[in-house]
Amino acid sequence: MIVNRLIEKAMRKAQGAQASLEQSESTDVSFENDKLKSVKSSQSTRMGVKVILDGKIGLSHTTDSDDVDGVVARALEAAEFGSPAHFRFPGPQDGPDVKVFDDAVLSVTKEKMVRIGEEMIGLVKEYKSDILLSAGVDKSAGRSQFANSAGTEYTTEATAFGVWVNGQLIRGTDILWAGHGFGWKKREIDHVEIAENAIELFKMAENIAPIRSGIMPVIFAPQGVNVLLLALTLGFNGKNVFLGSSPIAGKLGEKIADERFSITDNPLLDYAIASGKYDGEGVPHCTTPLIEQGVAKNFLYDLDTAGRSGTKTTGNGVDCHPTTLVIKEGDTPYEEMVKNIREGLIVHDVLGLGQGNPISGEFSVNVLLGYKIENGEVVGRVKDVMLAGNTYEAIKNISAIGDKAEWAGGSLLTPPIGIAKLSVVTK
Amino acid sequence: MRERMEKALRKSNAEYTEIRIENVASSWANFRGEELDKIGSSRTLGGIVRALVKGGWGYATFNDLDAIEDRVKEACESARLVGKEQSKLAEVEPVVDEITATLEKDFRQVSLSEKKSVIEQYNKIILGYNDKIETSNVGYRDSFRKVWYWNSEGTFIKDERPDVGVVISATAREGDNVQQGFESHAGSSGFQIIEGLGKKAEAAAKRAVDLLSAPPVTGGEYTVIMNPKLAGVFAHEAFGHLSESDFVYENERMKELMVLGKCLGSNILNIIDDGTIPGLRGTHKYDDEGVKTRKNYLIKDGILAGRLHSRETAAKMGEQPTGNARAIGYQYQPIVRMTNTYIDKGDATFQDMIRDVGLGLYAIDMVGGQTSMEMFTFSAAYGYMVRDGKIAELVRDVVLTGNVFQILMNIDKMGDTVECPPAGGGCGKGGQSPLPVGFGGPHVRIQNVVVGGR
Ligand SMILES: [Zn+2]
Repeated sequence: MIVNRLIEKAMRKAQGAQASLEQSESTDVSFENDKLKSVKSSQSTRMGVKVILDGKIGLSHTTDSDDVDGVVARALEAAEFGSPAHFRFPGPQDGPDVKVFDDAVLSVTKEKMVRIGEEMIGLVKEYKSDILLSAGVDKSAGRSQFANSAGTEYTTEATAFGVWVNGQLIRGTDILWAGHGFGWKKREIDHVEIAENAIELFKMAENIAPIRSGIMPVIFAPQGVNVLLLALTLGFNGKNVFLGSSPIAGKLGEKIADERFSITDNPLLDYAIASGKYDGEGVPHCTTPLIEQGVAKNFLYDLDTAGRSGTKTTGNGVDCHPTTLVIKEGDTPYEEMVKNIREGLIVHDVLGLGQGNPISGEFSVNVLLGYKIENGEVVGRVKDVMLAGNTYEAIKNISAIGDKAEWAGGSLLTPPIGIAKLSVVTK
Repeated sequence: MRERMEKALRKSNAEYTEIRIENVASSWANFRGEELDKIGSSRTLGGIVRALVKGGWGYATFNDLDAIEDRVKEACESARLVGKEQSKLAEVEPVVDEITATLEKDFRQVSLSEKKSVIEQYNKIILGYNDKIETSNVGYRDSFRKVWYWNSEGTFIKDERPDVGVVISATAREGDNVQQGFESHAGSSGFQIIEGLGKKAEAAAKRAVDLLSAPPVTGGEYTVIMNPKLAGVFAHEAFGHLSESDFVYENERMKELMVLGKCLGSNILNIIDDGTIPGLRGTHKYDDEGVKTRKNYLIKDGILAGRLHSRETAAKMGEQPTGNARAIGYQYQPIVRMTNTYIDKGDATFQDMIRDVGLGLYAIDMVGGQTSMEMFTFSAAYGYMVRDGKIAELVRDVVLTGNVFQILMNIDKMGDTVECPPAGGGCGKGGQSPLPVGFGGPHVRIQNVVVGGR
């Protein structure tokens, strides 16, 4: 295997080494302005090397398969001035069982992918012919090899499949965007359901409902929950905790959210985009509760950050990023969450997330797709509305959590979440 | 390589075919807090074939250059599956050209250890600023991109595209209150541009600390004065994306909305996209379809004067190609993008702008922006309230939002000096991010801007 050759070369000088080789083939069918626009096929190869030389880390990667000597030499060169290593490469460990490969993806033809896109566009057009649509269907299959100088060695084969449709409806200078999509490692995606979801969003948006500025209850639909999650993703990142930039550093064991709120990092869900037996450092994946019944439980670590922090890796290498986040279901049906609000907002999609100072928990976003609730009913969509608040205050101020979790994109599984009070600003 | 690629191109049975190969050498180093977080370098070699049949596109990207003839075949087959109408590409004179980058101080000759020591110095300035500084994030990166481009009309271009930059960020903390100060500096003219930036590091640290005691801005509608850097982002985000023709050319309603000659802004507003300005990050001699870049007026005296095109959108709209088809790398097909976008100067001094403002906001620099065509939102790094014609207290969490078509009409004063800051970052569109772009403008005053906040 190439990875063993890379390790062997690196170990002539280094005291530890890790190597990876990723190869994949993918196909991407793309529709723009109601019609098939392009079909793209991609072949990719990438080799990466990480070494520890005299206690310091060096990195390099390449996409040129003739660059085996070069990639090792550059990693060794970088290690001369590298950052000190606070870990050792892990020896072989058994990873948990998780499904990441589906044969059915391989046999999907370009023609079939085109038909899936055409059908989705056809369905939305049937609802309203002047919605202008774009859509995409993609699939990939890849193989990755990993090895390190401590004897860890494995090969993984994985597949992926994804489908999305997005519409634009223009009336005068009013532009409405709505859409839906999903991707995972399995072929099985009901594209008709995805189109129907998109249609539902357009249906609810037929009227524009005026809204006033003020403090009001807000329901984040699963697709909108990422507004709240961005700060948590940064705050639970072990590196930010170590460096002190996380506002929840030092707060493990403290109650930081409503007791109905629980969130877990879970890389073991079959076929989820981020699922797999091992993380990027050859460490077996495991589930890690971040918040349990409102109490902060764990931060996410990779090998080096765990070493610096005097703790153990959670298998979130490299860089302490979450894999799939799962928020625990509550006990309120969605319909009831809406019914209980006299005047409020449902948020599906926003503009401007992550601008400003996201790690502090502050957010101030433009509601791209959101709906007004009046007397327990959705009366139409809102326009020209800013939503502002702080994640850490909001999760203490939860009014209800939906009783059904849904995928929002490919790496978040969440029920709708109601926040009792947030600030809404409009003209 | 040239022979092999030209031979592969001749094997194509599509109406139009092109091959773009890139060889990129890059290196990076990053401090977070006291310690170096990462250092390394990489090499990327890869390419893309694009084929056009009956108006349908087939693309094939690859890292393995040996299989180029198979990739050409694959792109042709894909194009054939897609194509159902007539191909249209604006006529362009084929060119053969080789461009060599001139670097004052070539970063490829600078050792990793020297790159590291430059940012180490900035990192020390931040961490030593005062005891409210919690941590830092100081990164260096460079890339030297060699691009070879061939198309079936006889064009061959060899281009070199260097880019080097630093990102400096300071984090200050007081209890739960965490604030950041950012500075970035990037450009194409060589390593020297990122040397001697100690003042920027200090400014980032000072801002993070000052923001700890600054209140969040109170949400509402204000008269806003944007500084040149923010005005540049405004030109890019709030209007520039609307002028990208791929959003318009097959969209009848958008065509009505964006008909040339329509009044879209106040008559002191001029917005220009120009890919030819030396030293700016969006500058290239040719775009990624081999079309020469040029200066394009988007808005002239408030009137919609032009838009940005690829060869396809230009042909389909019966307009001239503008040299705006750009790709971020070999894994992507070129799409219509901005180059360097700026607002042109007017005649107001800064005093003219604030003198008659009772309650307003002076919004400075930016930390991000996004648009949905009609709506935009962008975040200033910080701001000052303006009270009774004078600059007053520092405020944080300044997010401006609004409806593009309304806001452009509300511009009532234009500053008399244009600045194009050498900032890092880049633009994202269609999954292609970050694309190096330039932007700038004078100070710009706008009435009735919605400012988010609590
Ligand atoms: Zn942009």
